[in-house]
Amino acid sequence: MNNIPKIGVFLCQCGEKIKPLVDLPLLKSNLEHEPGVMCCEVLPYPCMHPGMNYIINKIKEKKLTRLVVAGCESRLMLKKFETMLEPEGLQKGQIDIVNLRGHVANVSDLTPELKAEKGSKLVRAAVAEMMAFMPSLHKKISINNPPVIVGGGIASFTAANEFARRGVSCLLSVPENDSDTILKNIHKQFPGERDNYTRLKTIIEKVTNSPHVKFLPKGELCDLTGITGDYTLSFTVPEKKAVVKYSAGAIIACLDGELTPPCPEFGYDGKTVLCQTEFEKLVWGYEIPKGDIVFWINDYESGQPEFAQLSVDSAWAMSKYILERSRSSRVVILYNEQMPISLSAAERAVGRKLGLTWIPYNKALQPVIQNKYISFGNVTDHLEYEIPWDKIILSPIRKISEKALNIAKILRITHSKNEFLGIHHVKVRPEMVGRESTYLAGSARYACNLNDALSQGRKAGKKNAEMLQKSMENKLYAPHSVYVVDTDKCVGCGQCQDLCDCSAIGTVEGSGGGLLRIVDPMVCTSGGTCAAACPYQALTLQNNTNEQREARIASLVKQLSGDEFAAFACLWGGLPAADNAGSQNMKYNPNIHILGIPCIGQVDTSVMARAFLEGAPGLLLIGCPPETCHHSFGVDHAWSRVNLMKKLFSLCGFDRQRIAIAHADLNKPKEFIHTVENFAETIASLGGAIEKNPENTSLLRSIYRLVKYNSRIRLLLSSGLRRPWESTYRGDQRHALEYDRSDFTEALKEEFVKARLEETFIAEKRPFSITELTDVLSEDSMREQLDELVADGVISHTYKEGVPFYTLCN
Amino acid sequence: MIKFNINDTEVEVEPGCTVLEAARQYEIEIPTLCYHEAVAPSGACRLCMVELKEGNWSKLVASCIYPAAEGINIYTETERVQNVRKWLFEMLLSKCPGSNEIKEMANKYGVSSTQFPIEDTDEKCMLCGLCTRICEEVVGLSAISIVDRGVHKKIGAPFLVPSDICVACGCCVTICPTGAMSSRIDSVRNAPSVTLTPVAL
Repeated sequence: MNNIPKIGVFLCQCGEKIKPLVDLPLLKSNLEHEPGVMCCEVLPYPCMHPGMNYIINKIKEKKLTRLVVAGCESRLMLKKFETMLEPEGLQKGQIDIVNLRGHVANVSDLTPELKAEKGSKLVRAAVAEMMAFMPSLHKKISINNPPVIVGGGIASFTAANEFARRGVSCLLSVPENDSDTILKNIHKQFPGERDNYTRLKTIIEKVTNSPHVKFLPKGELCDLTGITGDYTLSFTVPEKKAVVKYSAGAIIACLDGELTPPCPEFGYDGKTVLCQTEFEKLVWGYEIPKGDIVFWINDYESGQPEFAQLSVDSAWAMSKYILERSRSSRVVILYNEQMPISLSAAERAVGRKLGLTWIPYNKALQPVIQNKYISFGNVTDHLEYEIPWDKIILSPIRKISEKALNIAKILRITHSKNEFLGIHHVKVRPEMVGRESTYLAGSARYACNLNDALSQGRKAGKKNAEMLQKSMENKLYAPHSVYVVDTDKCVGCGQCQDLCDCSAIGTVEGSGGGLLRIVDPMVCTSGGTCAAACPYQALTLQNNTNEQREARIASLVKQLSGDEFAAFACLWGGLPAADNAGSQNMKYNPNIHILGIPCIGQVDTSVMARAFLEGAPGLLLIGCPPETCHHSFGVDHAWSRVNLMKKLFSLCGFDRQRIAIAHADLNKPKEFIHTVENFAETIASLGGAIEKNPENTSLLRSIYRLVKYNSRIRLLLSSGLRRPWESTYRGDQRHALEYDRSDFTEALKEEFVKARLEETFIAEKRPFSITELTDVLSEDSMREQLDELVADGVISHTYKEGVPFYTLCN
Repeated sequence: MIKFNINDTEVEVEPGCTVLEAARQYEIEIPTLCYHEAVAPSGACRLCMVELKEGNWSKLVASCIYPAAEGINIYTETERVQNVRKWLFEMLLSKCPGSNEIKEMANKYGVSSTQFPIEDTDEKCMLCGLCTRICEEVVGLSAISIVDRGVHKKIGAPFLVPSDICVACGCCVTICPTGAMSSRIDSVRNAPSVTLTPVAL
């Protein structure tokens, strides 16, 4: 039922904010007779209680299945409409809001009639998009396999304990499950945590004795396939000399960081000048050292000031332990003056009672370790002092081990720019994503103490158990807008997986043995560069398909005249900048017609080509400021796509300036206006749209055909999307610049001739000889392209009096 | 349906509506600052005060949170309402002298100066909490909140440190009725690493 588009259009007067500025009755009469529009009404405030009730009645009366509201910012208002109208059967994606106030009414000095005309163009475009809308299934996720905890970090036990406590069965892969052995070695990752050992021991024993926890045989994780609910994990098990596979419903990765001794430049020798981890072993395994013990918190000097706090905590715990047990030891903690010491008053009192000395040193002067003495600069009197030592303990270097990194890679956990695995970097609203990547706990996420690692494990276990609980109650749904792969079209080239920044794309074995890609709807952030990069258009974003975007831009562009141009503005940069310019009553060139889009990276080249095919004089894509794309690289990928369009324009002799990428910061509406003004000027200087003549139309059609259907060009484009200054690429990605200058440009020329040939055959519907074709296309060599078209079965050739003639098949 | 009077004109709305919603439906103007349709009303700014009369007894209510009830008599422009509005504008002008939006609105209602002391001439924020409400109710996060209490109250990320929770959607900037959030957003989101420098036209 939802498939039949019955659109209701509601125009908001917004009190005195729109009514006097826009001729709403004219707007209404413009839209009333649009195909698909069942009713068009002007309301004082559609978003307030009485207006909303009116809309609900209209939905019931006219059986509306789509809604377009022309009012204010969709970023603010859409959620209210979605929540209020969900009981009426209107799902996400079936409601669209056009910002009449902020993009039309407030921002120019046009007459109310002209503003109504501009408004109608935008609303008609929204209506066209709604006509192309296909409602998606709200996908239910069922998780029938048990959760698996991998990675072997200490957080594994708290995570498993959380499952056991809730009566959820889980599988646990740890290198060791004997509590005493674990406690004996735990100081290597977490020094100075003796106080927590009893607690940890209880947890480990609880887990070992729980009937809900099954330990996997000791082995190394080597592969992961599948998506949430249906993962397959492979382990190489040395004992069995085989690869063992397990099905998993969900995965928790517990990875711990690695602590290594500092460099010798600090005087480290491993005997008297030790690392905290080694010292702890000494204290624990042998006897408590006597004499002068100096803890030098050298994290600032070794380049990891952010972890100084952790080192201080370990040093404090160890000093306390020593001083409580040995009266013949003197302990000094030497720390950088920049460092805040977060001890409570009670702890400080304990320290004083035990005779522990805290000495800050001048940050400008690095302490020097000499034989038996360590010198440092005093903070207050600028004198250099010395303290005697028998043992010096330095802070460890904290990083993530190769092994942990490898496991993270297998588990598709994205490695962020610093040393650690870090938190999820995709920044979108929580409703837009079902879950943030794989649950990750432990000090490989970010250096932390034992307590933090354990509580992260507990949290991961809790979140995961809640997800399983929801699935059991049949209440677990994927977010509305996620990508889906058409497995019939997917050939398993893997471009999407190499480009995906949220690690949502997994693999399944296809019937032919190839590895097809599938999207994990619980992890997908609906960024969209993956779909625009797919050479075969196998990926679609539910609720926001390429067809919808094409329909929208086509409808808008057809209505434009003169120097008017269209623009896509991303939800995180361009659109808020435009909204803010509108809400602050800033005036700018009214020629711009803004369409909102979640990310610029979603704009397929076919959408850009369609805009020009339908007669746009220019297209502006306004994304986030450089390096701040909310979907990581969307704006950069869009750059490459725009570049392709520019290349094609050059081939056709059109002006390259007709299409451009712009960057806008949400908080800089003034700069946004500069962007608009300058682009509008450029378009005006070009004298409106590309001249409409059969030749140009044929060229534009060829461009559209090429970028939409030519999988060779689409593949070449998507494999060169990484930015030139990036040094490492995943999978088949190549260096964009190098690539751009050689293969790609050549291939583009070849394929463009092919597209033009095809277009000529379709348009003329008659046989051509080669000489005729050379004339029509004014190209010299096209033999190869013709042969390829014949091989593809697009055209066939026959001989007339010894001369080959080509004609379109069917 | 509930019938009641606003300025002696009968209005009719569904149960559950507030007085403000009824007035807006009938195009009766009531000034508001902290009210926005996208979020639940909170009655923070008090500008929407109206007088509710019953016989020779009357009281002032905040129309954005006062539910419409059968037979009540609401007046939006009585002397008492205008008086309280004038005081409110004077207080707002002393608290947020930097905000053009407030100045314009006050001017419209005939208030152009304040008799209260001005502490900070650049201050724009009136602490209505609209930004925190949109962040929680619409965006689904609570990246900004009201920090501290009493006279130290301010708007910002917890501990006034840029927060990882913030997704930098800019809803708070767009919704801010006084233009205060635009100078504050960089203390909430992690400011972009690349800044766009202004270019002369």
